[in-house]
Amino acid sequence: MAFDRSVSRRRLLQLAGGATLAGALSACGGSNGSSASGGTLKVIGAGSQEAGLRKALDDFKKANSGFDFNLSFSPADQLQTALRAQLAAGNAPDLHAVYPGNGSAMSMAQLSKANLLTDLSSQSWTQKIPTGFKGAFQNDGKTFIFSPGTSVLGAIYNKKAFATAGVEVPTTWSELLSACDKLKKKGIVPIALGAQTPWVTQLIDYALVPGTVYAKTPDFDDKMIAGNASFADSGWADAMDKYLELQKKGFFNDNPNGTTYEQATSMVGTGKAAMAVQVSAVLQAFRQASPTPDDLGMFPFPATDAAADNWIPGGVVVGIGINVKSKHAEQAKKFVEYCGQPDVVNAWAEAVACVPLYSEGDAKVDPVLKPFLPYLKDNKAVPFMDQRWPNAEVQPTHFAVVQELLGGKTTVPAALKKMDEAYRKSA
Amino acid sequence: MTVTAQAVRRDAVRAPRRRRARLGPPWLFAVPALLVYALVVLYPAFSGAGSAFTDWSGVGAQRSFVGLDNFQQLFHDDQALGALRNTLLLTVAIVVVQNGIGLLLALGVHTGIKSRMVLRVIFFAPVVVSPVMVSFLWKYVYNPAPDAGLNAALGAIGLGGLRQDWLGNPSIALWSVAFTVIWQCAGYSMVIFLAGLEGVPAELHESAMVDGAGTVARFRHITWPLLAPAVTINLMLSTVGGLTLFTQIIAMTNGGPGYATDTLSTVLYKQAFVFGKFGYSTAVALVLAIFVAAVSFIQIGYLRSRETTA
Repeated sequence: MAFDRSVSRRRLLQLAGGATLAGALSACGGSNGSSASGGTLKVIGAGSQEAGLRKALDDFKKANSGFDFNLSFSPADQLQTALRAQLAAGNAPDLHAVYPGNGSAMSMAQLSKANLLTDLSSQSWTQKIPTGFKGAFQNDGKTFIFSPGTSVLGAIYNKKAFATAGVEVPTTWSELLSACDKLKKKGIVPIALGAQTPWVTQLIDYALVPGTVYAKTPDFDDKMIAGNASFADSGWADAMDKYLELQKKGFFNDNPNGTTYEQATSMVGTGKAAMAVQVSAVLQAFRQASPTPDDLGMFPFPATDAAADNWIPGGVVVGIGINVKSKHAEQAKKFVEYCGQPDVVNAWAEAVACVPLYSEGDAKVDPVLKPFLPYLKDNKAVPFMDQRWPNAEVQPTHFAVVQELLGGKTTVPAALKKMDEAYRKSA
Repeated sequence: MTVTAQAVRRDAVRAPRRRRARLGPPWLFAVPALLVYALVVLYPAFSGAGSAFTDWSGVGAQRSFVGLDNFQQLFHDDQALGALRNTLLLTVAIVVVQNGIGLLLALGVHTGIKSRMVLRVIFFAPVVVSPVMVSFLWKYVYNPAPDAGLNAALGAIGLGGLRQDWLGNPSIALWSVAFTVIWQCAGYSMVIFLAGLEGVPAELHESAMVDGAGTVARFRHITWPLLAPAVTINLMLSTVGGLTLFTQIIAMTNGGPGYATDTLSTVLYKQAFVFGKFGYSTAVALVLAIFVAAVSFIQIGYLRSRETTA
């Protein structure tokens, strides 16, 4: 019977408006209620930092009875989307992963420019940030992130595979080619490349460019920013030619564009492949993939035949920042202050196989990283290139053009032209 | 008399107006759904559309009005134009092959074979699996190693020469993704065609058989015309699905290798969440929405005009 009665449009709109208002009010009430009831710090970290961040949080909780946290992790590509969407919606976690420097949509520079990160400059540990790394932590002179140290990039190799082929660790480009040749003849894939995973595509370029670009032009980034240099007219072309030379000589696994990072990791871990160019932060994943983790080592990937020109890439690892809208900002600040203590920095760095940002006395460094330490000491380490790129478009363009190069769909000059075009776009 | 006739006509005009001014039971049933739709879909869509005319990064409050700059950029963006080409190729492949296979499957299981119910379930089963799960499953099948997945199967039956880097070769990756979508969705088309086939009166076939019509002639002159409503629905759904394809591409290739499998949906996603260009991304989304709507209206208009009722 009730359905026989018709409703006027005005009445319907009144009902709709009332329902909407009720919904909105109840949503506001829910939000306030949840924030008042919970004192737990919500944290999202980068998957590569899990061991270090979890240990720091656990230790801080033990020392502070009123502190509690809700921790989750996300792989690099998901951080870009999930976290960015939360930041846009204003419901991001209190403490979250942030990439150092610039060059990515989730980088310190991009997020601090949008006023989304809490200024940490008043914390005492920020005074200890080495001068050369300040660009990774600071924007406009203010510190916005904490990171435990630097990760180096080189070749993670299987010592047994090298021994089987009777090759030594190469120190020049020619020695590298010779070693790859011997490994190939023994039926071992010289270099595992999982280029289907976008971020892996950049690593060989990153390993070669310090030698082909920065050893000769240390201020290359400044020249790029000033518009006085380009990728196309620099040693980047040499690096990409060498990348393709490795492919043409058959030193990669078959079908690198169809191979994932996980498959490449497994190939090195099991000795099917001899090495993979990677960051030290993922050493743990390679160890887990190997039945004999102690057989894995790491060496600087040589880019030239002049040993003095073989610099290494070494960049500040993904850090953490405090959401400027956090309702637990004081707790989060206290935790970050705690992370800045030298022993915590050391413990975190050791857990994720990176070189600590600073230390009191001798720092504990994973023995596998020792071949890289002289380069860091002699200032022959260059931050990961993307950390000084002006916008978030250059890096994904680099990923795409490398896949096109490996697929034979473009040339080195065309690839670098695309990167130059992406670089010149506004931030 | 004239006055009375005019008054009657006025009343006749007013009466429907009064009826239109009040909402009867059918509208009442629709109100909750319309309300939710307006709040969840229409309001965010229209409020977000304004971003297409700004340079908003997607986070923070900073944004400036840039007029039609984002739309001008779209029509000069090689990546977007390449993605448009890929989107159209994928859509054509999916619409033609998925519906062709769906129709054949429907005709096959509409016969009197004993296992037809089991076959219907088997053919429809992939539809109920999450597209992400299907993508990961097929990523495993497409493993480029010669001793894994599809390549291993080809080797085992003596077709080793056909082994491919299914997702890593820029020339075939798009078709590998299309095949996965077709594999998953052909069962959906089959069910819609099957519903159409169930509605074809058996008497028509019987009388045609009496008149000496063969299988092909009966399909051409009886089944196919009466399947027109099912064809309309299937073509429209698969066209919209193809034009907005996203999940399988992101899960299988992320638009690569290079830009080989990028579609308009993946481009707008990357612009928003990877490049931090929400304004431009919204412009791409608006153009895509208008394009999909236009194609759908034209398609449905044409297909409706050729529909035949039984």
